[in-house]
Amino acid sequence: MDTQTREDLLKLFQSKLNQAMRLYLETCSRCGTCTEACHVYASTGQVKHIAAYRHEIVRRIYKKYFKGQGKLASALGEPKELTELALEELYEAAYSCTGCRRCMVYCPHGIDTQMLMSIAKLLLVGANEEPEILSMLADSSIEKGKSLDLFKEGFLTAIKNLESQVVEKWQVEAGQNPIPMDQEGADLLYVALAGAHSIIPAAAIFNAAGENWTLSFFEAVNFGAFVGDPSRTKLILDRIINEAVRLKVKEVCICECGTAFRVMKQLSGKQPFKVSSITEVHARYLREGRIRLDKEKFKDPVTYHDPCQIARNAGVIDEPRYILQNLTHDFREMTDDVRYNWCCGGGGGLVALGEDTLDFRMKSAKVKVDQVQKTGAKILATACENCHTQLSNLNDHYQMGMNVQFLSSMIAEALVQ
Amino acid sequence: MEEIKVDKVMDLKGLPCPMPVVKVSKGIKEVQVGQVIEAITTDPGALADFPAWARTSGNEILKTDQGDGVIKIYIKRDK
Repeated sequence: MDTQTREDLLKLFQSKLNQAMRLYLETCSRCGTCTEACHVYASTGQVKHIAAYRHEIVRRIYKKYFKGQGKLASALGEPKELTELALEELYEAAYSCTGCRRCMVYCPHGIDTQMLMSIAKLLLVGANEEPEILSMLADSSIEKGKSLDLFKEGFLTAIKNLESQVVEKWQVEAGQNPIPMDQEGADLLYVALAGAHSIIPAAAIFNAAGENWTLSFFEAVNFGAFVGDPSRTKLILDRIINEAVRLKVKEVCICECGTAFRVMKQLSGKQPFKVSSITEVHARYLREGRIRLDKEKFKDPVTYHDPCQIARNAGVIDEPRYILQNLTHDFREMTDDVRYNWCCGGGGGLVALGEDTLDFRMKSAKVKVDQVQKTGAKILATACENCHTQLSNLNDHYQMGMNVQFLSSMIAEALVQ
Repeated sequence: MEEIKVDKVMDLKGLPCPMPVVKVSKGIKEVQVGQVIEAITTDPGALADFPAWARTSGNEILKTDQGDGVIKIYIKRDK
């Protein structure tokens, strides 16, 4: 690595060194409490997947370039040079971590591995060594924000073509638009994903609840966050913020996508609207009596996988359980305490990397498979696209025989007209 | 409009996010410059995702067809 590249990368490292990050970098006592906390280590037994091992690569680079010890007495603190080899180690650490933060709830110091891995990811972006697919997806999302007028008409036609399927699930009144778009003054802006499965059930439920809503032109997922690039994360986020402000909505509701929700909720700053997950909105409709569900619709026992970015990392824990109480007679918890639930193994951009990560994802999530099977449930519900894809892959790979469902699809199926 | 000669057909129906774009971005590398992929999808978002991806990757959307819940997008490899 040439001197200029190293200097540029160290500037990026420096940009991440706020007070919290310095605390995470300086307080690990190597107590080992995090060892068993990582689903990858628990499933594979490989030391390199222990959380403390992952951070140590970042920490030693920090010591080398940002601490007196590393600068003056390198032999004492095991400091690490930022080299091509170090970048390879950072890649291995960052892209085998799903950012689930289960290790963080075990750590006595509260060290946030996801934040430390965000340094690794940013250095990889700076060195053009990040996964090409994630960068491509992030760039496409940004381009979409710039060229809305180019695709607007085609997208509106595609949405119009979904209307009959929405009406099949919930009959709207004559003259009512089943999927309203671009409605200034709507109360709620719904931000979906590209697939019809993310739009049709949600639309039926909004209509059943009598919501004054409108569908976003943009997809919710933030690939800038997956690739660990703060600049692109913000540009992708800004498309939705600008649309919400333009339409003067009171609430932005994020579809079943964990990263999309956490990024919007925690990184959008102070805005004239509130941010909700679709699970929170559905629980609210039930509490307010705006929708009713047929509890006999799903007869098989149901378990629920809490998406890490929605539950452990964003606090939406009671709402899916309230919904499930109204949806089934036989709900079975996976764990006594949701904070310690196992990750599905698909987060951090791993599912978006598709078949390239499939073998690793299957091997590293064996503990999740065991946890699901122990419930004896037949239906495995979740509220995140990433988790749903990963759980479906696990279901096929381990021949689990589960019916993997989106929670919102189950609600839409059970709506009482 | 002149009929489009398709060199590779990709069935992307029912794939979860973001697989349609991911697969097309890989598939385009398997055809020669100037050749055309017909991508078949059910995702309404593809009408926005594919043109945006084409602009950033330097490829060209020749035509889109919609009907019966199926969307066909014709993409020419330009570089």
